[in-house]
Amino acid sequence: MLTVSVKWQKKVFESIEVDTLQPPYVFKAQLYDLSGVPPERQKIMVKGGLLKDDADWSKLGLKNGQKLMMMGTADEIVKAPEKGPVFMEDLPEEEQSANLGYSAGLVNLGNTCYMNSTMQCLKSVPELKSELSNYQSARTKDVDQTSHMLTVATRELFSELDKSVKAVAPMPFWMVLQKKYPQFAQLHNGNHMQQDAEECWTQMLYTLSQSLKPPSPSEDPDAVKALFGLNLRSRLHCQESSEESSETESVFSLKCHISHEVNHLHEGLKHGLKGELEKTSPALGRTAVYIKESLIDSLPRYLTVQFVRFFWKRESNQKAKILRKVDYPLELDIYDLCSEDLQKKLEAPRQKLRDIEGQKLGLQASAKSSSKGDDVKMTDAEESSNGSGESSSGDQQGGASSHMTGIYDLVSVLTHKGRSADSGHYVSWVKQESGKWVQYDDANTSLQREEDITKLSGGGDWHMAYIVMYKARLISM
Amino acid sequence: MAPTPDPNSVGGSAKQDEATLKVPSKDPKKKDEKKDEDLSEEDLELKQNLELYVERVQDPNPDLQKAALESMRQEIRASTSSMTSVPKPLKFLRPHYGTLKAFHETMPNSDLKKYLSDILSVLALTMSAEGERESLSFRLIGTEGDIGSWGHEYVRNLAGEIAQEYTKRQSEEASIDDLMELVQQIVAFHMKHNAETEAVDLLMDVEDLDLLLEHVDKTNFKRTCNYLTSAAKYLPGPDDMLVLDISYMIYMKFEEYPNALQIALFLDNTQYVKQVFTSCTDLLKKKQFCYMIARHGITFDLDDEMVADDDDREALQDIVNNTKLSEGYLTLARDIEVMEAKTPEDIYKAHLLDGRASSGASADSARQNLAATFVNAFVNAGFGQDKLMTVPSDSTTGSSGNWLFKNKEHGKTSAAASLGMIQLWDVDSGLSQLDKYFHSNDNPIIAGALLGVGIVNCGIKNDCDPALALLGDYIDKEDSSVRIGAIMGLGISYAGSQNDQIRSKLSPILNDAKAPLDVIAFASLSLGMIYVGSCNEEVAQSIIFALMDRSEAELGDALTRFLPLGLGLLYLGKQESVEATAEVSKTFNEKIRKYCDMTLLSCAYAGTGNVLKVQDLLAQCGEHLEKGDIHQGPAVLGLAMVAMSEELGVDMEIRSLERMLQYGEQNIRRAVPLALGLLCISNPKVTVMDTLSRLSHDTDSEVAMAAIISLGLIGAGTNNARIAGMLRNLSSYYYKDANLLFCVRIAQGLVHMGKGLLTLSPFHSERFLLSPTALAGIVTLLHACLDMKPIILGKYHYVLYFLVLAMQPRMMLTVDENLKPLSVPVRVGQAVDVVGQAGRPKTITGFQTHSTPVLLAAGERAELATDKYIPLSPILEGFIILKENPDYREE
Repeated sequence: MLTVSVKWQKKVFESIEVDTLQPPYVFKAQLYDLSGVPPERQKIMVKGGLLKDDADWSKLGLKNGQKLMMMGTADEIVKAPEKGPVFMEDLPEEEQSANLGYSAGLVNLGNTCYMNSTMQCLKSVPELKSELSNYQSARTKDVDQTSHMLTVATRELFSELDKSVKAVAPMPFWMVLQKKYPQFAQLHNGNHMQQDAEECWTQMLYTLSQSLKPPSPSEDPDAVKALFGLNLRSRLHCQESSEESSETESVFSLKCHISHEVNHLHEGLKHGLKGELEKTSPALGRTAVYIKESLIDSLPRYLTVQFVRFFWKRESNQKAKILRKVDYPLELDIYDLCSEDLQKKLEAPRQKLRDIEGQKLGLQASAKSSSKGDDVKMTDAEESSNGSGESSSGDQQGGASSHMTGIYDLVSVLTHKGRSADSGHYVSWVKQESGKWVQYDDANTSLQREEDITKLSGGGDWHMAYIVMYKARLISM
Repeated sequence: MAPTPDPNSVGGSAKQDEATLKVPSKDPKKKDEKKDEDLSEEDLELKQNLELYVERVQDPNPDLQKAALESMRQEIRASTSSMTSVPKPLKFLRPHYGTLKAFHETMPNSDLKKYLSDILSVLALTMSAEGERESLSFRLIGTEGDIGSWGHEYVRNLAGEIAQEYTKRQSEEASIDDLMELVQQIVAFHMKHNAETEAVDLLMDVEDLDLLLEHVDKTNFKRTCNYLTSAAKYLPGPDDMLVLDISYMIYMKFEEYPNALQIALFLDNTQYVKQVFTSCTDLLKKKQFCYMIARHGITFDLDDEMVADDDDREALQDIVNNTKLSEGYLTLARDIEVMEAKTPEDIYKAHLLDGRASSGASADSARQNLAATFVNAFVNAGFGQDKLMTVPSDSTTGSSGNWLFKNKEHGKTSAAASLGMIQLWDVDSGLSQLDKYFHSNDNPIIAGALLGVGIVNCGIKNDCDPALALLGDYIDKEDSSVRIGAIMGLGISYAGSQNDQIRSKLSPILNDAKAPLDVIAFASLSLGMIYVGSCNEEVAQSIIFALMDRSEAELGDALTRFLPLGLGLLYLGKQESVEATAEVSKTFNEKIRKYCDMTLLSCAYAGTGNVLKVQDLLAQCGEHLEKGDIHQGPAVLGLAMVAMSEELGVDMEIRSLERMLQYGEQNIRRAVPLALGLLCISNPKVTVMDTLSRLSHDTDSEVAMAAIISLGLIGAGTNNARIAGMLRNLSSYYYKDANLLFCVRIAQGLVHMGKGLLTLSPFHSERFLLSPTALAGIVTLLHACLDMKPIILGKYHYVLYFLVLAMQPRMMLTVDENLKPLSVPVRVGQAVDVVGQAGRPKTITGFQTHSTPVLLAAGERAELATDKYIPLSPILEGFIILKENPDYREE
């Protein structure tokens, strides 16, 4: 009778008696008692070989006191999960793009960056996309042929962008756009001319506004107007005659005038809402200078602001660009640009918003013993960016209960880079639902940092904001 | 330039009395000789005295002659003390050198002639024309006296002339007996006067280093040996071996066994290693030797001649078998407090990349998961715990089973094998953790489990041979992935063991006509590893036949490169031994011939610093080839392999690689980053880092990938923040390119390998010894990286695990006499080269004091900061046994 010691994991079973007359299976049964590893799972190593159940002990040359090693566990055997994971590499192309978190870029068809960047900005408005998808493919009679085609082309373009991983060449859309607006088909030296993105933007909104109009005029204004339109109530005042009149108008965007005093978007907006104009005064019977002061009467879901960077330079007879740096915030409050009626309406929601934010801040302030003004602003900005996602979803659920607050969050920026209006390059920068910023430079897309977005304010040769779009922060009451 | 009078000099003051007597008579002369005008009185006097002596020497009266010679001798001897300018007596005697020489010839043979010869010999020091060696010839006919009395400068000059004379006589086959006598004297003089380096130089010149043995003593043998061993790196063979032999003998003579063992290991001379064991009687010291052998990673069996007692031998063999490595490593980890497992996300640090962070992908990317598997394996290597593979399987989410199945097909092999990496060196727990995968019905998982067993056993030997027992049966299985898993596992666990049992199992595969190419390739590689540096004929034959049997199409396959590499590994570092095989390789199909040539050459001369081979390889790289030839890749790697042995060679190589980047063809440019990675492995030099960072943005994606992997290699196990930052930026730069991103991830895993406790450097013991298995592992990976797409980016990504062969803790762990960890204060600082420096120079600079265990970075050295203990090895790396100092007094 030999005795051996068996090492198993960190344990050593000393002096186990081996009956060399019995098959090794008996020995394994002994070990089963000690280790709890069933014999069929035991692997016993004897000098570079495994102990077989039916081996002959005598041939193994076992020595007294020899050390053996056993491997084996009573653990459950690993089984493959019933449903294997889905690997991205196996997915069809469309789904891979969903994983990227943002949609594809648009191929430049020859100086069409103005169009590409405009479309990328407009595409970032989910409500517009859903309106478009509801649009009837069959043309109704109050929409003209080309507008209808353009609307359909827009819808197709958007859906193609969502599906594709690689950059999309917007050929059909481009053809239709040229048909509808022949000015975009202008050629110069055989090439398509560089166009103004603002013009493209305005025309697109106008067309969509026309074609997405509900059939009966009795209902609410058209969808595009509800999304982008804002009403201005203007007071015309003639200093000479002290005449006063008021008028209301509906626009799709606010203008940010840039003069020497303007350093900030807010100042530019104020500037833009005040103007002088000459018109015939009924009282004086001649043309007189009127001062026009406008205030916002109704707020849009998406506030578009155009920086009036291009102007016609009479002396040199050319379109010139103002390179002045005009800062714009990630969060814009236009309360003081609103009319008194509107301000009253905004009071309650704003109070509530302040309360909510105050609460959140209060919690944080208690954590930080001394909260400086800067800190508050910063956390405020964070809240706002976090909040944007919620607000849009809440708004879809119950439109009635959500209210405007007059506070807007930046969602997309269309920039122009270059010294003159007819040259240079348009690029769009769009905030995704995930809160990340993506730069769409024609076919190239890249992730950007939020702090870099506010650096597009001009004052150099870098990209500078030309059109910015803000999204309203809504609050449910 | 008038020599300023030196009143302190013995010569000047001794002549003072005489000078005063003769002042009046000299006055008129002074006016005549304008030259002497700027001489001081003392100098003038000295001059005149010497002139007088010269005259008297020519006097027929022997007594006068003798007195004059005696005085002249006095003058010269007394003034040779100054080193900065020509001694004055010599200066004043210069004009008379010719006169004296002429007179000397006329003299009859006598004692006086010998005297004069002595003086002429000294004068020749400054007068003799270049190449005349008059100093030596006068010396040889002069008196056989104490040459040292003529001053150090004289002896040095003489040594130089002897060297020249020796070469001349060698070519003329003339007798050198008289020279050797002089050499004896000079060596004795140098050895006594702290000029060991000069003694060694002279002896090397006259090719009689054995003389050293007689002249070294307790005070100077260390410096002598230090110089010998460092000089060996720059000597051509076989001189370098001879030099090391001598230094081994000196160390043995003075019972400096650890150093002797080092040299024995360097020479790869088992006989010498045995001799160290049999000569040493101290058991504790033998334990220390065992630690050193274990670190070197060779298989070594102790017999009763070396250690008499059975129990002792078993204990020592345990150390050689590295069974305690895991324990020591974990001690270090606990001391540094890095036991907490890290996830791949902790390494990627995506939150530091603003904006560019990957958006929350809904589907898993198989490629990214595979990368995470490797990162997880490298980062948690040897810690026994991680957050992907070893989480208790009963928890429903994120259990080990689940992560395994988050890998696709062949990815599962790497995932299962990663468990082996996490349990590295801990055979007992490793095997029990891997057990469950053996019972899987999924072939890639079984393959991974087999590979994992191999990895766990890497560098660890065990009497029961668990790896062989477990893997042996799978070698001939049907499925080739399972076969590869078993073969590669054996290769890793038995690297360097020269195990015949495994050879008899693997060799038949090589010449099996039915075996698929990939199985053959890995079998060749594993045999190469197991027989690394052995020059084993039979294995070489098998691989050569396998190569000859390949069809044209197979030779074009990327994996075929492993066949020549397997062959090359057999001759790793064995220099000329490769020649026969290299001759055979000339008969191969031309598709592989040159590749094979380059691989054999580079492997055989790896780590030798052989300049001629560097030139050969450079010449190969200089050719501009047509497309399709791939042999320049291994040539570039070969440059790095040959030159990597010492700092100077490394720096020169880095410079010449820079040239190749500019002028080389694309296939060379692709290999250059890898060569840089090898030269600076685990040693992130800033210049190399910058070069690689530049190349990582190269327009050729293969160059970029190689550069990225190399960034990982040079930073391997260092946690280098700069490389980590570079890689992080690269991960966002290449976030869309799955291949490049995969490489970036692997590199990130490498940089944080073992959470910064490991090194990949094959060099250890103050960069003196080169572990052959470690180099084999690295070289294999680099060859695989020469063609990334089909291998690492294809389905053979598990070749990355070959790096495990080079993975070693970069620690210094002190243990007491019972081998239990013992914490003592140590100073760790930048190592200083003290070769050839007199006295007891500081060996480290800019040090900090820590308590052991400590980490040692590349180029760092440690020394004990306490006298309480005596380390048993002078090289404070790895495991160090401390003995209490009997002379220590508590203050």
